[in-house]
Amino acid sequence: MHSVVLTKGVPDFREGVVEFDEDGHLERGKTPTVMNPNDKHALRAALQTKVRHGGKISLLSMGPPGYAEVLQEGMRDVYADDLYLLSDREMGAADTWATSMTVATGLEHMETEPDIVFSGFKTADGETGHTGPQTNWCIDINENLTDRPLITHVIALDVDDDGTVRAKRLVEGDVSEIETLETELPAFIVPDPEFEPTYRKAEHRLRHKQFRAETRERAAEFGEYLGADKEPTDFEQFTMWNQKELNLDPDFIGLSGSPTIVSGVDPIPKAPSEREAQLVDADDDEGMADVFEEMQPYAVGD
Amino acid sequence: MPEIDPTEHDISELGPKVNQIDDEQELEEMLAMEKGGEARDPVITLIESRLETVGGEDEEAVDPAEADLSEMTIAEIANMVRGVDDVDILDGILEREKSGKERKGAITQIENRIEAVRGTSEEDAEEVEYVPPEEKHPDLEHPTADKQYVEGTVDGEYRDMWVYCETQQGDLVDVSKEMLGRAREMLDDYNAEPDDDTDRTDVDAAAASYGGDEDGNPEEVVAVLIGDGVEEHAEECIACGADRVVYHEDERLARFRHKPYTEIFAHMSRDWEQEWRDYHEPRYTVFPATNNGRDLSALVQGELDSGLASDCSDLYIEDAQISNPEKTGQPGTTKTFERVLHMPRPDFSGFEYSTILCLDKPHRDFHPQGASVIPGTFDLPDPDYDREGAVVEHDIELPDDWFQIEITASDQLDDGVDLTGNEVVVALGRGIGENPTEGIELGLELVDQFEEADLGLSRGVITASYQFGGHVEQYITEERQIGESGQVVEPDVYIAAGISGAVQHKVGMDESDTIIAINTNADADIRDFSDYFIEGDLFEILPRLTEALDRGEFAEAMQEVSDD
Repeated sequence: MHSVVLTKGVPDFREGVVEFDEDGHLERGKTPTVMNPNDKHALRAALQTKVRHGGKISLLSMGPPGYAEVLQEGMRDVYADDLYLLSDREMGAADTWATSMTVATGLEHMETEPDIVFSGFKTADGETGHTGPQTNWCIDINENLTDRPLITHVIALDVDDDGTVRAKRLVEGDVSEIETLETELPAFIVPDPEFEPTYRKAEHRLRHKQFRAETRERAAEFGEYLGADKEPTDFEQFTMWNQKELNLDPDFIGLSGSPTIVSGVDPIPKAPSEREAQLVDADDDEGMADVFEEMQPYAVGD
Repeated sequence: MPEIDPTEHDISELGPKVNQIDDEQELEEMLAMEKGGEARDPVITLIESRLETVGGEDEEAVDPAEADLSEMTIAEIANMVRGVDDVDILDGILEREKSGKERKGAITQIENRIEAVRGTSEEDAEEVEYVPPEEKHPDLEHPTADKQYVEGTVDGEYRDMWVYCETQQGDLVDVSKEMLGRAREMLDDYNAEPDDDTDRTDVDAAAASYGGDEDGNPEEVVAVLIGDGVEEHAEECIACGADRVVYHEDERLARFRHKPYTEIFAHMSRDWEQEWRDYHEPRYTVFPATNNGRDLSALVQGELDSGLASDCSDLYIEDAQISNPEKTGQPGTTKTFERVLHMPRPDFSGFEYSTILCLDKPHRDFHPQGASVIPGTFDLPDPDYDREGAVVEHDIELPDDWFQIEITASDQLDDGVDLTGNEVVVALGRGIGENPTEGIELGLELVDQFEEADLGLSRGVITASYQFGGHVEQYITEERQIGESGQVVEPDVYIAAGISGAVQHKVGMDESDTIIAINTNADADIRDFSDYFIEGDLFEILPRLTEALDRGEFAEAMQEVSDD
């Protein structure tokens, strides 16, 4: 069983790490890049599949060469056997459609077609949730690649030995529903952030522990190639492809190939104050007493 | 008479409405009505500030050449420079900002305007010459790997706004009607005769009118229904604003399936030969930003080789002045794109809206311009069952290999966490970042002090990649999110700890009776819509409140003790 997991680097939005300028614009230069949190759910789903059924997990991203560290993070924090990075200036600033074409071409370049392609739902920075489905649509269009059913919002997943995929997915509209589905490999799976891997059998828990130890070691080894005077591509399990190697027309990828542009980022004009806030200093007992009086009528036992 | 009587509305409802009004007369009348009524200060400020924006050319308005920038917000500067066409004046403004407050956002706004104005004078530049890829990139093997995904239409014909109307368990989902209502409003404006007095290239103009398509024929709102037994919703779609309903029925389509739904939508809108559908593809497509609607939007737009913006919080059509060289074909020029669907969506930072545009580039069309819309963004329209419209069945063979996925069961979920109906909501924001697990614990401890209370979260907590301790992790779900894309609550007491108050959060809580904010930053936006603003660290304040409430039960006993 070979799984490929797609991931993207995003600004680290954690408090104390993320930097905004005084106008509330994100300062990308000062904010570190991390693996998109939702993609870790996808990677965990792939790891669950590997623990239960064996096989190999490849982690693939598109981005600047520095994204090698994002791939290393996924390898270290979850799991990966090998890493792929599609990297070229010409691929920069792509929207989801231009990204999907590039990623599908990267998948076509791999030695064998994966049994399962996983992608995360939504990135923390763009939040579109489009790239996974659109990549699969490119796979559909591409005659050299096998069509694969797309299952999104997956919260539980299992694969039988005969290649039957069983999944549960979340549907939301005016009410929430869970669908149970069956299909055959190969497949394209988009796990939901609610996805939680389960390891009920003792042998699975043992294997999971062993895989985690191995992947941490591998990530540490890859780390040695990320230093200033080293070439990451010298690491056997890391492959990097550029626009020429993928035979992509620079006018059809990156910003040039993107249907959409961001025309403007408008500060939301501040609405006039609607309430006159009473300012309470934490040390002001009288003020704190006023606050307390507002809350007390709702307290337990009152 | 103005359309909206301000005295009948809360300020929170008025904000978005007033900011869409462009008629000075109407605003003046509303102002008079408010002054004659309750004369609420914030309402007056709101209308006056809108009047100032709209009436940019009044004598009393600031002269851009003289304006005191240090007194203006970035948004005000942005609005002001939009009306200035003189590069010298703009250069002067830029110099003053640079030597004054030097705000990066303001400088960008001014520089963009300078670029736009400069570009305009060179607008009549020659057509971009087409160079075949084989000639342009002889080092690549042609056709290159990307071409198979490219439709290759240039200067195609596009008309109408297609709206995907999602159904669930045999009913139209509310957002389907909301989108139809908005689509109707947009196309009514679009089909209206252009008013000669307004300059259509002015980006601040009201919803633009074009008098219909390029030949002057009105364009339609086309509702799309796909499913089993969906024709019965056609009447409702027309009542909500559709001119035409196209439906496809098949019992295998009872539940949403990615492949056949996408193929059917694409066939209907691009390949289907119909007398009324005498164009290449729709001009615009609109989908609901639900789990299934968002997937479908991405797949359909991919199949039609175009782009889209997801989770939009507004939609409007007007011209756009574009200087992006990828779209104009020539660096340093500005080109006017007509009839552009503007798709604002809340940005991840929570303090900005990004407006996304899907635009043709030289030698490659990007139509339809697609969007998905957050449910609840637009009001449900009042259905008009006397409206007339056409209903058309779409019927093609659906090959078996479109149905590779079998749905073996479906179960409705309980509604999950429902934060509405609580007397008290304790909400936590990114202020817990220093120690997220402890932050949640402290919030839960305070919740426990109340009879009917629950824990809410800002979007920031859910999207941040915090590591939570196992015992509190179960609380970190989107179900607890308060705000535009989460729940809307109006408890008696709303306690917002470590929440800065992005506008998306505000819409989820500002109807609460009493709002108590706890924040270390005295300038946090939430202060403007709080009743109490405790300046301090939530890690210190929350335990104190918990303790006080806990002790509150024994207040008398404590009193006695201290009296001794």
